[in-house]
Amino acid sequence: MIQKSDDVIVRTVARSLMPFILIYGLYVVMHGHYSPGGGFQGGVILAAGFVLLTVTQGIERTRQHMSQKTACVISSVGLLIYAGIGALCLILGGRYLDYGRLSQLLQVDQPTARSLGILGVEIGVALGVMAVMCIIFFSIFAADETE
Amino acid sequence: MNTFFLLIGIGMCVLVLGCLFRVTYGPTILNRAAGISAVGTKTLVILMIIGVLHGRIEMFVDISMVYALLNFVGCIVLAKYLERAGDI
Repeated sequence: MIQKSDDVIVRTVARSLMPFILIYGLYVVMHGHYSPGGGFQGGVILAAGFVLLTVTQGIERTRQHMSQKTACVISSVGLLIYAGIGALCLILGGRYLDYGRLSQLLQVDQPTARSLGILGVEIGVALGVMAVMCIIFFSIFAADETE
Repeated sequence: MNTFFLLIGIGMCVLVLGCLFRVTYGPTILNRAAGISAVGTKTLVILMIIGVLHGRIEMFVDISMVYALLNFVGCIVLAKYLERAGDI
């Protein structure tokens, strides 16, 4: 079982680094079209923030922010965003994930609609990856606790 | 200027080999942990030098920041594990 670290330097550095990690993860997600990164990588960076929080602040404190149930809900919402945007394009008369068709719905021209569609799909992927990584990490340590 | 950066990059690669020697033959686990951490830091500098040589430094800064972050998290987790393991 992971307990709270008793070293004050590690705890303070991890706590003050946490917002920057989250902002950097969001930056990687948002700039996935024209720089390295995207949904999956951004989600992994966000999950690394939670792993750091768990290791330094103890698993009880992390569960207040991200419990197993919340993580399950977030991963389902991420999958719903991804599949929903794909199905919306299908309903509007295009192929699956054919973002150009979203221009009728959003009242913008086709290139903007494609850019917004990719952004929406990437946000969905990032939420799913972050939540599933957290679930895997929590499951490993929950198995450790029962011993 | 590019030759200068190329030479620095090659020198860094040689230093990485030195750290890898310590990781492989380290007498205790602490030597190995410190060696892994040093290899991560040197990889970060090598990535930046590759970015300068390719003229796309803005792309490689992103990659090296992620590398530094994961190296930091890995180091903390390893230290936590060693703390729990007790005597080495």
